[in-house]
Amino acid sequence: MEMQKGKGGTAGGGGGGGKLLVSTLLDAKDELEERLERCVGIVTSLTNGLSEREANDALNAHICKGTPQHEEICLGLFTLVLTEPAQAQKCYRDLALVSRDGMNIVLNKINHILMEKYLKLQDTCRTQLVWLLRELVKSGVLGADGVCMTFMKQIAGGDVTAKNIWLAENVLEILTEQREWVLKSSLLIAMAVYTYLRLIVDHHGTSQLQVLRQKEVDFCISLLRERFMDCFMIGRDLVRLLQNVARIPEFEQLWKDIIHNPQVLSAQFTGVLQLLQSRTSRKFLACRLTPDMETKLLFMTSRVRFGQQKRYQDWFQRQYLSTPDSQSLRCDLIRYICGVVHPSNEVLSSDILPRWAIIGWLLTTCTSNVAASNAKLALFYDWLFFNPEKDSIMNIEPAILVMHHSMKPHPAITATLLDFMCRIIPNFYPPLEAHVRQGVFNSLTHIVEKRVLAHLAPLFDNPKLDKELRAMLREKFPEFCSSPSPPIEVKIEEPVSMEMDNHMSEKDDSCYDNAEAAFSDDEEDLNSKGKKREFRFHPIKETIVEEPVDITPFLDQLDESLKDKVLQLQKGRSLEESVGKPLYLIFRNLCQMQEDNSGFSLLLDLLSELYQKQPKIGYHLLYYLKASKAAAGKMNLYESFAQATQLGDLHTCLMMDMKACQEDDVRLLCYLTPSIYTEFPDETLRSGELLNMIVAVIDSFQLQELVCHVMMGNLVMFRKDSVLNILIQSLDWETFEQYCTWQLFLAHSIPLETIIPILQHLKYKDHPEALSCLLLQLRREKPSEEMVKMVLSRPCHPDDQFTTSILRHWCIKHDDLLAEHIKSLLIKNNSLPRKRQSLRSSSSKLAQLTLEQILEHLDNLRLNLTNTKQNFFSQTPILQALQHVQASCDEAHKMKFSDLFSLAEEYEDSSTKPPKSRRKATLSSPRSRKNAAQPANNEEESASSSASEEEDTKPKPAKRKRKGSSAVGSDSD
Amino acid sequence: PAGTMSTETLVKDVKPGLKNLNLIFIVLETGGCHGGGGPGSPRPPDPLPPPGRVTKTKDGHEVRTCKVADKTGSINISVWDDVGNLIQPGDIIRLTKGYASVFKGCLTLYTGRGGDLQKIGEFCMVYSEVPNFSEPNPEYVAQQSQSKG
Repeated sequence: MEMQKGKGGTAGGGGGGGKLLVSTLLDAKDELEERLERCVGIVTSLTNGLSEREANDALNAHICKGTPQHEEICLGLFTLVLTEPAQAQKCYRDLALVSRDGMNIVLNKINHILMEKYLKLQDTCRTQLVWLLRELVKSGVLGADGVCMTFMKQIAGGDVTAKNIWLAENVLEILTEQREWVLKSSLLIAMAVYTYLRLIVDHHGTSQLQVLRQKEVDFCISLLRERFMDCFMIGRDLVRLLQNVARIPEFEQLWKDIIHNPQVLSAQFTGVLQLLQSRTSRKFLACRLTPDMETKLLFMTSRVRFGQQKRYQDWFQRQYLSTPDSQSLRCDLIRYICGVVHPSNEVLSSDILPRWAIIGWLLTTCTSNVAASNAKLALFYDWLFFNPEKDSIMNIEPAILVMHHSMKPHPAITATLLDFMCRIIPNFYPPLEAHVRQGVFNSLTHIVEKRVLAHLAPLFDNPKLDKELRAMLREKFPEFCSSPSPPIEVKIEEPVSMEMDNHMSEKDDSCYDNAEAAFSDDEEDLNSKGKKREFRFHPIKETIVEEPVDITPFLDQLDESLKDKVLQLQKGRSLEESVGKPLYLIFRNLCQMQEDNSGFSLLLDLLSELYQKQPKIGYHLLYYLKASKAAAGKMNLYESFAQATQLGDLHTCLMMDMKACQEDDVRLLCYLTPSIYTEFPDETLRSGELLNMIVAVIDSFQLQELVCHVMMGNLVMFRKDSVLNILIQSLDWETFEQYCTWQLFLAHSIPLETIIPILQHLKYKDHPEALSCLLLQLRREKPSEEMVKMVLSRPCHPDDQFTTSILRHWCIKHDDLLAEHIKSLLIKNNSLPRKRQSLRSSSSKLAQLTLEQILEHLDNLRLNLTNTKQNFFSQTPILQALQHVQASCDEAHKMKFSDLFSLAEEYEDSSTKPPKSRRKATLSSPRSRKNAAQPANNEEESASSSASEEEDTKPKPAKRKRKGSSAVGSDSD
Repeated sequence: PAGTMSTETLVKDVKPGLKNLNLIFIVLETGGCHGGGGPGSPRPPDPLPPPGRVTKTKDGHEVRTCKVADKTGSINISVWDDVGNLIQPGDIIRLTKGYASVFKGCLTLYTGRGGDLQKIGEFCMVYSEVPNFSEPNPEYVAQQSQSKG
């Protein structure tokens, strides 16, 4: 409690004025605090000025009026205990006297405050709350153990700030003081041991922490030795925590007993293997995260979309993982994600941030080697003694997926994890090496069986890994490395451990080679292979056993005439047949019923129930509605279905179904695409999400199909009002995805003008795909002023040749039109005071058109056109504009662009002549210029600029140019 | 409280000139400042932002531009003085009686007279950063110069 002195003031500086919570000017009023303060008001108004006895009577009389009044008084007195230390003793006594529910209301409120408001609780109230806990424990109030556990949850791992240490000390003090009471609850024993074993790791360094650590060690050792079997219920993570403290002498001794003398600890305890083979219960893994951490992690894994997690991760990291002390928290978080966060199939098949991505983030942001190797151990901990009967695939899935998905972007991560996986086998605990090997082997087998990954060979035998590691993997896991041919990228399959998945299309590369042998030798083998392989989508997946074997891959073995006949037969297998299977009976009935029929809503309810259990039903329905004749024109039934599901909304439902379909069957996705876009334009045309789903998986053949659909008028994927937005979204996508998007866009006849504003978003370094697509399209257009403006608005960068390229092209094709636009832009932008303008452009991130920019682009164009026959710069509008600009230009700019302005010098001379002859002069000027005036100028320039042109691709041509031009300037002077 | 029951406007529906706006958003960035100036106030002399995050107006107010977002998109809000120091990225904030106007070609939110910014949570809100409705919009500039002229 001595911590109190040091931290008198409230954290945020007062503003709210409540006595319970710290609040600032910004914080909204807290409803709980207001409620509790109202209760205090009631208590004080009832007891004000009364003697103790009278006050007690008054409170009792109020309580007799009913339950709400009882609650008011209990909460009022409780709040007084928290906010008025001087009255706490008296108020607690009153509370004990008047409470008629064994303090239940108070216990609930304490838990509520701990879980939701502890971080904002004022220091006095924290002290008082601990005081109250001690009183509750002393009086042996039923349920105080639960409050005690909630208290322990507030002690953050990896946090040695004064307030957190204060809490750890005070709760430990109560537990030690009231040891007899603690021993009455097995769960409390296990939870307390788990909590303090973990906290010991954080407590070192200062003498204060050293003292605390010794108390924690003594406390844990005594409970472990006296009540080992209560601690045993923790499961294998008890071993993990004991490993981290094994060097502390008391634990060293305990370890010796665990290994050599297990019976000393308990007659039922047979040794460390027994512990390692029991799965850790979720409540222990969860208890080491504070409620705030838990809320935020759960939010990330249930609501945040993959791709949108960056800021959330940064915020979480800043709050909890930014100090060296906090590194130990990573293991808690990883264990929590593997063991506790088990998303539903719906979430798994959605675009929500997957667990492996969070693990990847936690691994890549490790700042110390110790933290990193502990984090890896935490990630693989359930692998080491994995038993498919007792353990869950969900606990081991994040490790394999983070390895799989990191191979492309961060091969080093995959390599270090694979390396760890190999080395942990002999090194975890040599006497149990065989068990660990079996555990890892079981994990890998189970992963393949559950089809988290279809094959491990692409992971284990990947050219991105160095030879030694691959050799080690091959040596340790020959069973999973069997890929004689170079590894094939396997389609990414998220773990949906459902039977329907078991026959998902599979790339079994050995099958082609062995097909003949299999054909002749072993019919069964052929059958099983045939069943697994799917080259056409078969909608009724449940009835896989009855499903005909697809023979398409074997057709090439037949001679031509036979092959043709078989192919004809195959074509004859109509869509109607494919929708004749049992599930589709429900769909057919749905189509045949009238919507006002009571059976109709009954069927919808049934489907909604089935859908909860099996999300694939959604896209099966879409397929049926499209493929079946019975359903012709009834696509809108899907909307009724969507509204009947728990999702309750067409958009969400459609997106989830398309996502599920995308993951299971790309060809079905392509088949459905035209009708989805046609039937549900409001849901689809604005959805970058849906488009990305499609372009992320299609191949070039399917792209071509979709393009044809668009051009034949069967499919509209973009509309004028939303296309720009979608294209902007697509800038973050993979290269092929972006190309697909542009191809699909180009298949529509949307005027390019609509999407030109995207140029403002395109950075030459980050968006090469969009830039080249746009460039190739722009060259087909006649330049409009807006286009020229957008093009000129690109920031000048020596390596960004976009603007020069398109200007040059327009120079050749539309020189007069371009000249007019440039003139107009030069004059418009010249009329603004330049100073403010350039300031503005530097103050906004987006490109703004400035005079300097236009001139720079023109100068680049000029350099590019040197030595060509192009006489763009001799056109009257350009010369006029340059002159106009030069006249109001400051000296620096005149100097900088002197080469450019010098083109107009001649024209200046002629402008002094009367209008008529001036026109004449300009008409003839281009040629005469070439022959007469310019050469003089050109000689100099080509000398300096041919050199500079060559080096144009290298950085800093601007400086070079400036030097050159100043030399020209001084010459002419 | 009765007042908070009114429905909130979404960021995508914020248009220049709208008043009495109630919004709930999450704070993405508290950097990127400009000089003061709602539509009525005089333009500060040189709006080049200092390296820090805060700009002082002539009359000594601190102005801070924060990027905020809801599920429909992001927008800038101009926050004045003390409240600006308290706002942190990740805060979920309710704006009451705000208004929107165009500042230097960018749609910007302001707290109106009698309006308020209140932190009601943190972190747990989904948002979409695009479209950014505060990107400079030439139409607004045109409209503004028209209405001035």
